[in-house]
Amino acid sequence: MGKDIREDIAWAHINQDVLKSLENPRPLFWVIVFVALMMFGVGVGCEVYQYQMGMGVAGLNNPNVWGLYIATFIFWIGMSHSGTLLSAILHLMHADWRKPIYRFAEAMTTFSLMTAGLFVMVHLGRLWQFYYAVPYPNERWTWPNFQSPLLWDAMAIFTYLSSSVIFLYVGSIPDFAICRDNIHPGWRKNLYTLLALGWEGTDRQWRNFRVTYLTVACFLIPLAVSVHSIVASDFAMSQQPGWHVTSFPPYFVAGALYSGCAAIITLFIILRYVFKFEEYMTMPILKKTVRLTFAIAMVWTYLNLIEFASVWYSHDEVAKAVLIDKATGRFAPFWWAMNFCGSVVPFTMMVKRWQTSIPIMFAVSLLLNLGMWLERWMIVTPTFSHGYYPWTMDTHYWPSLVQWGIVFGSFGWFTLLFMVFCKIVPSVSMYEVKEMVYHRSLATKKAELGLEGGH
Amino acid sequence: MSVSNLLENWSKFRHTHPVGDKGHPDWEAYPSEIKWAMSIDLDACTGCNACSVACYAENNLPVVGKEKYSHGQAMHWMRIERYWDEDKREVPNQGAQFLPMLCQQCEAAPCETVCPVGATNHTEDGLNSQIYNRCIGSRYCSANCPYKVRYFNWYDYPTTENVWPAPMEQQLNPDLTVRGKGVMEKCTFCKQRTYTARNNAKTEGRKIHDGDVQTACQQACPTNAISFGNLFDPESRVAKQWEQQQVELIKEEQEKDVKPGNNLRGYRIFEELRPYPSVMYLERVRESDV
Amino acid sequence: MIENGFNRRDFLKVLGWGGTAVALSGCGNTSIENGKETVVSYVEPTDYQIPSIGVYYNSTCAQCDAGCNIEGRVREGRVLKLEGNPASSINRGKMCGLGQAGVQAHYNPDRVTEPLLRAGTTTENITWEKALATINDKLNGLKGEEIAFLTGGVSGHVKVLLKNYLDVLGSKNHYAYEAVSPAVVRASNKKAYGVEMPRLHLDKAKVIVSFGADFLGAWVSPVHFSQQYAQFRKGNRPEGRGVLVQIESKMTLTGANADRWIPIRPGTEGILAMGIINALGVGVPADVAAAARDYTTDRVSKDTGVSAEQILGLTELLKARSPSLVLAGSAAEGYSHGSQNAAAIALLNQVLGNVGKTMDAPANVQFAQLTPTTGNSLALNDLNDVMAMGKLKVLFSYGVNPVYTAPDCLKLKDNLNKVPFKVALAHYLDETAMEADLVLPLDSALEDWGSSVPEYMPEPQLSIQQPLMENLYPNTRGVGDILLALLKQRHADQYKAYEDFYSYLRGAFVQNKAALGGAGADDDAFWNETLGKAMVKLPGTAGSLSGKPTVAGLSLPATKASEGAYPLRLIPSVSPSQRDGRHANLSWLQESPDPLTTVVWDSWVEIHPKTAAKLGIVEGDIVEVTSLSGSIKSQAYLFPGIHPDAVSMPLGYGHEAMGRYAKGTGANVFKILDPLFDKETGELAINETNVRISKTGKRVVIVKEEGPNGGSQLGRPKIAVKVSSDKVDLSKEV
Ligand code: SF4
Ligand code: SF4
Ligand code: SF4
Ligand code: SF4
Ligand code: SF4
Repeated sequence: MGKDIREDIAWAHINQDVLKSLENPRPLFWVIVFVALMMFGVGVGCEVYQYQMGMGVAGLNNPNVWGLYIATFIFWIGMSHSGTLLSAILHLMHADWRKPIYRFAEAMTTFSLMTAGLFVMVHLGRLWQFYYAVPYPNERWTWPNFQSPLLWDAMAIFTYLSSSVIFLYVGSIPDFAICRDNIHPGWRKNLYTLLALGWEGTDRQWRNFRVTYLTVACFLIPLAVSVHSIVASDFAMSQQPGWHVTSFPPYFVAGALYSGCAAIITLFIILRYVFKFEEYMTMPILKKTVRLTFAIAMVWTYLNLIEFASVWYSHDEVAKAVLIDKATGRFAPFWWAMNFCGSVVPFTMMVKRWQTSIPIMFAVSLLLNLGMWLERWMIVTPTFSHGYYPWTMDTHYWPSLVQWGIVFGSFGWFTLLFMVFCKIVPSVSMYEVKEMVYHRSLATKKAELGLEGGH
Repeated sequence: MSVSNLLENWSKFRHTHPVGDKGHPDWEAYPSEIKWAMSIDLDACTGCNACSVACYAENNLPVVGKEKYSHGQAMHWMRIERYWDEDKREVPNQGAQFLPMLCQQCEAAPCETVCPVGATNHTEDGLNSQIYNRCIGSRYCSANCPYKVRYFNWYDYPTTENVWPAPMEQQLNPDLTVRGKGVMEKCTFCKQRTYTARNNAKTEGRKIHDGDVQTACQQACPTNAISFGNLFDPESRVAKQWEQQQVELIKEEQEKDVKPGNNLRGYRIFEELRPYPSVMYLERVRESDV
Repeated sequence: MIENGFNRRDFLKVLGWGGTAVALSGCGNTSIENGKETVVSYVEPTDYQIPSIGVYYNSTCAQCDAGCNIEGRVREGRVLKLEGNPASSINRGKMCGLGQAGVQAHYNPDRVTEPLLRAGTTTENITWEKALATINDKLNGLKGEEIAFLTGGVSGHVKVLLKNYLDVLGSKNHYAYEAVSPAVVRASNKKAYGVEMPRLHLDKAKVIVSFGADFLGAWVSPVHFSQQYAQFRKGNRPEGRGVLVQIESKMTLTGANADRWIPIRPGTEGILAMGIINALGVGVPADVAAAARDYTTDRVSKDTGVSAEQILGLTELLKARSPSLVLAGSAAEGYSHGSQNAAAIALLNQVLGNVGKTMDAPANVQFAQLTPTTGNSLALNDLNDVMAMGKLKVLFSYGVNPVYTAPDCLKLKDNLNKVPFKVALAHYLDETAMEADLVLPLDSALEDWGSSVPEYMPEPQLSIQQPLMENLYPNTRGVGDILLALLKQRHADQYKAYEDFYSYLRGAFVQNKAALGGAGADDDAFWNETLGKAMVKLPGTAGSLSGKPTVAGLSLPATKASEGAYPLRLIPSVSPSQRDGRHANLSWLQESPDPLTTVVWDSWVEIHPKTAAKLGIVEGDIVEVTSLSGSIKSQAYLFPGIHPDAVSMPLGYGHEAMGRYAKGTGANVFKILDPLFDKETGELAINETNVRISKTGKRVVIVKEEGPNGGSQLGRPKIAVKVSSDKVDLSKEV
């Protein structure tokens, strides 16, 4: 395998390269921002209409009371996982190669969580009363229902979001200081000054920084696992066929990591080009990410098969009927597409040559995420349209354009946030890349001197 | 720090069950001596829909119109389902079967536990209540109701054209609200009626008698297929029917059903899911050798 | 109860541990022990606040001719809901959906609220003075035979005033028209039993064999019969649970409740009745047996399409279980030999010895002038002929909508145009009111005074309809008031004692209080009590049925071979809620699914799946139904409960006027009925029309209550409905 990074990049050069991304990206950046803005506009238009008219315009009905909003909500929650979780795990494991890519991965986490949060709002019949679900002291002493997985959900997501933001922020402090010191005066400089919290790079600061960062990383790992487990509880704790599956929590976590990794690949490729990060986001790193993604894809496939098998052998007639309906009913094309994208497409990642092929990996990562989105849809909808009670089954159900519009818009919203972030915050961690370069050069030197310990 | 606090059964503060939770101290105003229940005799039910219309009249149900009906957005709290014998005959040799389906007022209601804001609760007289002004419209309750008898206000029906065009709004029953957009609703066992009856009884310093209160659907039903009353009152028709059919509320399988050769026709739908429904149905009878 | 031991500071401490920590707040150093009971929602639904008390007033349902006694719930001067009057012997506190929708007829947004005068193409609102003066003008100088009244069935004091008015005008032209009525059965009953409507005792029968009498749905007095039916089904009555056999070509609501549903080739009901008589053998009077001899089981089976096994089984059942009750309903009477069908069915009932057991005579009522004048379709034919000849100068219509209900082939609209002045007393601007020169807006049934004697009632009674609230509109009037005003135009002095119809009605009751059970009572007290109950017992003497079966004149045509161009029989169905279409503008009823097909807000064409397969039709195909007399389009619904040789469509849909909910909803089946009539009574043979079905190439998704599964339990039987057979023990049931 090639080198994750060249060991001879000068530190000043790193600063220069990364800070350049805050100044003049390729024109494609602006194209992406514009398209994202348009998409977001579509979503906002649909939401305004839905808010005015009522949820009916989403084409939801009895029994299909949940639809794409919930499916896409889970998708975004899932998407959020890889960023912070991987960053934290790899950090603990001292995997050096995470360093150039973890920052944007964490940003991805934060923004997909925010997008997911939007879907909760979009989904609510009375979003203007959303705060009823928040435990706050009020004059009537009414509390939310602590028994409801939806409430755990709200809390878990909020906690995860706040912790992820902290993690992202703490990890960026030394970089903010670099920005502060290098960028020309203006509002941005003021901003960086503020954000850098007076970072001087003193010994004491570094020591405190390391401890804090490690602590947050340790805290985040179980938290992230719990978040998607709790999202899984929305389903697993219910009593509906196809949902009350014990393996849902690990299945959801695996799915989350999977879609997150796939998204990292997509964004890796985009950022690499748009911000001219070819030096840092190198092919060996892509290769490692691809291999990791493949491993997770197999875990997901396994858990997916487990789910089918346990439904099949449980002889729970109703759950079985839902499974059969998924494979043969109205949604069969989507269900098969999900299995294809989720379990077959990843095998392209086994081809060595393709692991570093930008166009192929770009396409594959998009397909994987399509598969993961379909997975969420196929968890939500078939159970509604083919539930327990035969009279109310509605297999003709199809989401309305308003639902599609908002889902579409959410991708615009996410992209917009993400792109704006990358334009303001260094999306490659400068200080850690320097560490990486240092370690590498040290290792090379040791090897040259014939000492042991190089890796 | 209190682990026992953590392990507390928090549901107890949100749900009261006349069955099981008897004597819960907080409900002095309405001691748990009432458990409303229903039984519907499918052999008497002719499928005539009178009950359903009565519910529209009593409970301010909106008429949604053809288009919304086609989208599955009808609001009938009482729906009459029509089934055919699935014997693959070309022409049925018996009639159809009708089933009036309404909220089963489950004693362990799957819809209650999942509501994030506690907008749907168990009342001390054994009903699954719906608090419209608390509901945020998450629809989780409907997702988890096995019977799919919860109806969501997909639109703001009071202001929708031709739902209550003037002067039709004058028909609205002031004993209960007209629900606005974004909240869930469902059959309440006509709680404005039970509430009034309970208050009257309280004022007169007596217990509720059978017949003090009729639900609107029961009252209309031309064949008396529906009986409704207090399951805790052994004199009530409902209690007698449940008893006679050997159907017990807190059971996921009735003893009589385990024994072979029982010739009783009382049953509850999805009993095995353990929601403990408060509606017992009596099987339709068909004389096959005619 | 709201003991608030959990203060804000505690809360903030807890909150300080972050979001999840709140859920797990036991982990903190803070105990929320003393606050935990506040985890209860104190937000009680506003439904728990009952602002005041409802007041109930008794009255009479005017939604159909069954005349159930009702009570209206009134709050703050508004009527909110109609409920059955428990004291009624007709409906005993119960009501059908149609009856309950009476409040919607009252609050209907499309009511006519002002008198309207049409001149050429203009329409103007006029005052009542002008309206009545115009009528007077138009009537002046006309001969009695140039004036006619077209009404539905009428009874009570409105009937009296109507008769008086016609007398004053010197006219004998009262046409009582009902588009859908059991007129043929009435005539046949009259012949067989001596009365038009014998009293039935469904609750005493062990077996009911109904030839298409939809007594649970739309026939005669459905709420009353439904209650009897419930008794009939009780396992704990001495006779045991009764068995219902329904024989008809299209499944009705009653058929849907049968233990045995027998689809029969349309029009052969009489043949099957004769076949059963023949198969009975013993106990059949000689002349009847002789007449039935030709109806061998084989032949009958061939003609009717009912298997020989079934015929014999049914015969055995009737032999084994007596008393039974055999009924002839609209399905059997709607043919050109409908009278013969009905006669044969009555004969079977007589032969089985049911007369006097499960059927007896209604009492003879003393006040004959109040008893109902029932309507039929012959009346419209007669009127139509008179109009065609241009003999009529003024036509009043009330309680009918002939422009909608008359088949196109009668050319009624053209003939109506030959009448120079047409007055419609109307609730809505329906099709007939749209043709009228003068429209008089009527009070709703919940605003108006009236009295009625139902055609079918267990005990003779006079029911009162009283206003349940103030008029919604200042310029609507009661029909009694209009008639009184018209009478006053002619004989002011005779009626001057009566300020309005109310005082007339009160006067009539008070004058006869002795006969009405108020002998010796104070006038006011009697009247108040009568109003309180809204019904009084009528004096009457026991009637009797003439029980002698007779076969004179009985001849049943063999089945008509299906005609090439029009191979299918069209059976218009009378829906329990739409009836003849007069209730199409009530949204509850439009949204109340048809019990069998569960279709809402539209009409449909019921086709047997086999027939549909032959024609390549699938559910939702828009098909054209063409008869010799016209064609209409509607959506196809594949329905197992119909004879493969027949198709069925519901009546009542397809209005071109009447209001927002009615207009344009579905298709009007009346339009395409062929001019075929029952040979004996002259009634329109409503089931005699043959049609052909063709696809139009369009397809819709039918809007209905049943889901895409068509109400199947999907191989998981007994999820929702289960059936017990006779093995259950019903005798001890509560
Ligand atoms: S039937 Fe459904 S809505 Fe009613 S209590 Fe049970 S779960 Fe809740
Ligand atoms: S829709 Fe309302 S009642 Fe149902 S779960 Fe959501 S908030 Fe609770
Ligand atoms: S009990 Fe009341 S609310 Fe429930 S279906 Fe009957 S009429 Fe409607
Ligand atoms: S009113 Fe009675 S008979 Fe009619 S559908 Fe309802 S339960 Fe059945
Ligand atoms: S049967 Fe007729 S009179 Fe009786 S309640 Fe129904 S509509 Fe009214």
